Amino acid sequence: MQKASNHNSRTQLAFASFRRNRVGMLCLWTLVILYGMAVFADFICPYSYQDEDRNFSYCPPTAVELMDQGRWVRPFVYGRALTFDAVHRRVYVIDQTQRYPIRFLKGGRLFGVDAPGRFYWWGADARGRDIFSRIWYGARISLSIGLLGVAISFILGLLIGGIAGYYGGWVDTVLMRLCEMFMMIPGFYLMLALRAAVPENFNSVQVYLSVVVILALIGWASLARIIRGMALSLRERDFVLAAKTLGVPDIVIIFKHILPQTLSFSMATLMLTVSSYILAEAGLSVVGLGIQDPVPSWGNLLSDAMGIVPVIFAPWILLPGLFIFIAVMCFNVVGDSLRDAFDPMFSGDSQ
Amino acid sequence: MPPNKLFIGFFIFCLISWAFIAHASSDHYGGSLVIATSSDPKTFNDIVSTDANSGAVTSLLFEGLTTADPFTLKVIPDLARSWDISPNGLQWTFHLREDVKWSDGTPFNADDVVFTFNDLIYNPDVPSSSKDVLTIDGKLLKVEKIDDHTVRFTLPVKFAPFLRAMSQSILPKHCLEEAVKQKKFSFAWGIDTPPVQIIGTGPFILSEYHPGERLVFKRNPYYWKKSQEGESLPYLDKVIYLIISSPEAQLLKFIDGELDATSVSGPDYPLLKPLEAQKNFHIYDAGADFGTRFITFNQNPGSNPNSHKSFVDPAKLSWFTNLNFRRAIAHAIDKKKIIEILNNGFGQAQNGPMSPSSGFFYDPHVTVYDYNLEKARMILKQAGFDDRQGSGIIQDPQGHPVEFNLLTIATDDPLEQQLAYIIRSDLEKLGMKVNLVPLEFNSLVNKLTSSFDWDAVIIGLTGGVEPHFGQNVWASSGGLHLWNPHQPKPATAWEARVDEIYDQGAQELDENKRKVLYDEFQRIVTDQLPVIYTVLNTDMYAVRNKFGNLKPTVNGGAFHNIEEIYIMRHPERSEE
Amino acid sequence: MFKHIIQRLCSTILLLLAVSFFTFWLMHATPGNFFDSLRLNPQISQETVARYEKLYHLNDPLLVQYGHWVINILHGEWGYSFYYNVPVTHVLGSRLFNTFILSFTSLILTWGIAIPLGIWAALRRNQWVDRILSVFSFAAFSTPSFFLAVLVLYWASRWGGLPLGGMHSPNYDDMSIVGKIKDTALHLVIPASVLSLSAMASLQRIMRGNMLGVLRQQYILAARAKGLPERVVIYRHALRNAFNPLVTLLGYEFASLLSGAALIEIVCSWPGLGSLLLTAVRAKDVYLVMSSTLLAGVLLVMGNVLSDILLTWVDPRIRHAKGK
Repeated sequence: MQKASNHNSRTQLAFASFRRNRVGMLCLWTLVILYGMAVFADFICPYSYQDEDRNFSYCPPTAVELMDQGRWVRPFVYGRALTFDAVHRRVYVIDQTQRYPIRFLKGGRLFGVDAPGRFYWWGADARGRDIFSRIWYGARISLSIGLLGVAISFILGLLIGGIAGYYGGWVDTVLMRLCEMFMMIPGFYLMLALRAAVPENFNSVQVYLSVVVILALIGWASLARIIRGMALSLRERDFVLAAKTLGVPDIVIIFKHILPQTLSFSMATLMLTVSSYILAEAGLSVVGLGIQDPVPSWGNLLSDAMGIVPVIFAPWILLPGLFIFIAVMCFNVVGDSLRDAFDPMFSGDSQ
Repeated sequence: MPPNKLFIGFFIFCLISWAFIAHASSDHYGGSLVIATSSDPKTFNDIVSTDANSGAVTSLLFEGLTTADPFTLKVIPDLARSWDISPNGLQWTFHLREDVKWSDGTPFNADDVVFTFNDLIYNPDVPSSSKDVLTIDGKLLKVEKIDDHTVRFTLPVKFAPFLRAMSQSILPKHCLEEAVKQKKFSFAWGIDTPPVQIIGTGPFILSEYHPGERLVFKRNPYYWKKSQEGESLPYLDKVIYLIISSPEAQLLKFIDGELDATSVSGPDYPLLKPLEAQKNFHIYDAGADFGTRFITFNQNPGSNPNSHKSFVDPAKLSWFTNLNFRRAIAHAIDKKKIIEILNNGFGQAQNGPMSPSSGFFYDPHVTVYDYNLEKARMILKQAGFDDRQGSGIIQDPQGHPVEFNLLTIATDDPLEQQLAYIIRSDLEKLGMKVNLVPLEFNSLVNKLTSSFDWDAVIIGLTGGVEPHFGQNVWASSGGLHLWNPHQPKPATAWEARVDEIYDQGAQELDENKRKVLYDEFQRIVTDQLPVIYTVLNTDMYAVRNKFGNLKPTVNGGAFHNIEEIYIMRHPERSEE
Repeated sequence: MFKHIIQRLCSTILLLLAVSFFTFWLMHATPGNFFDSLRLNPQISQETVARYEKLYHLNDPLLVQYGHWVINILHGEWGYSFYYNVPVTHVLGSRLFNTFILSFTSLILTWGIAIPLGIWAALRRNQWVDRILSVFSFAAFSTPSFFLAVLVLYWASRWGGLPLGGMHSPNYDDMSIVGKIKDTALHLVIPASVLSLSAMASLQRIMRGNMLGVLRQQYILAARAKGLPERVVIYRHALRNAFNPLVTLLGYEFASLLSGAALIEIVCSWPGLGSLLLTAVRAKDVYLVMSSTLLAGVLLVMGNVLSDILLTWVDPRIRHAKGK
């Protein structure tokens, strides 16, 4: 089979152009770091995501002490105890008699303190669970849900868009009407309605998969349309006509020739879709219909912060929002930069 | 007469009459009170309503023959002017006020009273919540009209809470008798009834209802009560209930001035207290709440008459009816931390069905279950619940893994949610698998009172001073006997004993002897654990300083005397 | 042009049927016979339950049930809300209107601000205005809207002056018509602006991209060479061509605004279709869930049809093509 070498070198050019975009690359590396931290959460986090200590509800970030009576010592933290002040504000009083040195690389974790001391680098939530740990365990859920959802959407989109674009005619019309139907149902409504159908006794894994499927179902349609547009133009290309003449079955043409090309073009859209899925999962979790406690996701971590009282008295609880923002922003920038990089080709292929 | 004397006389006359005029046409009239309620009422029909939100609405619209003095807690006249008691204590003759009119102008008379009791409360077709309270030893009260303004109640036996029970709302015969005749009373006065059709004798009438948004009440022009100076009440033009489901939004709206009062939860306190001077309000501490909050398990052995599916899975039923199972769970409620986390340190552990605020009938010597997971595990093991299969979840003696659904009221408040999470977390440490199912409040009530298909629930009930008024909860035939309602006869020995106590307690007029009975009742409840108590909140509310005649009490809240409350032209802090 | 509209209408009706079937099937996937529990509720009369059972033919196969449901909908019978204990139509009407107001206002805000900003950015390409707008745009559509809403509400409570949630003030009923409009407008400020923010951001970038693309074209060069004033070149020629493709987006914009509105409604206590749906889902009020979703779909379809008509009117190429 003759490869469209023309096309491949264009793709290479596009990626090279992307690499030159400093902001885009910066965001890409940020994403790599975020995913890396998520993968190694077991190592870098001092606590598991359900490790709670109710004596430290809403404990502020624990300061690391480096000086003891004027001398430099190995880092440690003081013990703390909860008291209420005159207006019943929570105050954690430092007890200097209790010291907990920070242990590194102990018990398979990068850092931590021995019990009963607690080290809350970024503060604690309502039940004394470490926010830092929950953010990185939550990253596993939030970041993977986006990718998994996009993967499923992409496969669906490929199948439907590819077939529609390649065959054209009434197949195309019917399939595109199907897409429009899905695009027409407002996403959030569809999510809620689908969520209402999920049984109550699903465990956390089943809920996770349900959310992935729900997200995939709201987004595949626009992907399908884009792929269909690309397939429509690609099928007129020489190499496809050549393959057809040689008697290669349609299905093989679709899978071996047309679809791989669409992947590079769709990259940009895929990135943007991931970011919208991360936001969608957050929205679902915030109304309590997404991932359920105790499993953390950035969305349900943020739902803990949806209150004036936590925001004022425990502002560290808003950190997951920052991470959602960073991740989504990075995906958006990368997607946008990819689109710019592929731009000259897009203007040629637009419908 | 010399001109100056005339002048002085005239001047004095003017002064005096000016004082009278100023007094009589006082500037107390006008203005509105805006408060919040957390969900729509389920009905405007006071007879069938079972939830507190509907009750908050109907309390403005209807009145009873008697009411309770908010300070002394003693029973005082309301729609009835006075009453006579026959020597044997069984015949009570009430003399009704003659100046009361319904809000459509029709005069109120004895027919309405007789109608309310005989045709509504005692009507077998009507699921009235007061029926149980007003049934003594299986017998009903006899209610008869003597003349237009006299009603006689004949009790089958002596009934101690009788006078207090006469605070029962009276509904108008001329509006509802048609519905009763057509057997449609239970759906009469539902929430889509045009407001103008809801007629009561209370200080306010329903003027508008926008579902999900607000209820507007305006002054009842025919209201009979007058102030001590003889002015017709109420002073306020309107009362507006905003329906705000999120406590967060309620707080915000209070801070920005849209609400005139709000209840203050423990976590809100440090936010609100410093704003008192700036935003011109005051926080009142009313003491321990009257209500209860508990977990209960479904012990109902029945099945749905239509689908023949049992309400509770038989394996689960065997756990829930096992006292040791419940005892273990009672040892797994971390009350101290719940108070710290949920209530920001306010409140206290709740151990029994009556609150310390109830005063005389409260018994502190009940069985207390300390938070001790080890003990809980041991109790479970001895009862045959153990993880024999090594799956991480314990199994009952028959090998079924212990898993059940725990229903809670759906809320957006992250701190309220913690109660369910903390309890679940502890139950999971015991090896049980618990699925949390948040439901909208009204749907939850439906499940508990009509469809009965639930496993476990965290919910609360209102309470009060008079233990007998909890009868629809504690009598085995009661509708709010949540774990096994409407029993044809008591399912267990202890429930039979509680039935006896309720019957005897109602008929015993000696307060001290009553106390002995109700103390025994409280101990039985804490021994048998049909419900497992959690924590008791401290009632606090913040009210703007612009209201006159504000006399908050422990029992009545801030607005129990709403008809007397007015907006001060020159606001000052009212006396506590 | 008419033929085109009729065609569109036909396909949208088909689409609506498909949407409704999908929602219907979904609701019946929920386990348990809903009506068994209803029968036991003393506040819902046996007659009501019997009536709805008959209307919906619950013992017939799914497709037959669906058919009856559609026929009932067409007759104005949208089902019964067992949570509110009234027919669904009683609850939907006002909620629909409220959501429509919110979405429509956001739409106007979005387009009214994003288009000029996009043009401005294109004309000042790579200057500081463009860069700042770029950063703001990315920031805006990367922030979760509900999060932004909470922050804005909190900030507004500190600052005062704006009502914090809800749609009407407590004394709304006493106001004059003008007063009512003003009151609603004030309550719209926070939800509509938060809702518009991310839509504005993406639209602004698209407009900028389109504008830049058009400005590169040959006919612009020709117009300039002809000596036309720059203003005419930009506003008469470039803008029109840059703007047209956006009209196709109008329909989908409305869809995403409607969807985003649901979450904002919940956070800002705006009594619309979205918050109704959330309550219905939490209450497992089946017919209400179905009807709200269907209604949202209808709203969307209408938006799409309108945008199609608008496109035909705005783009002479399509108009002339249809005329043939």
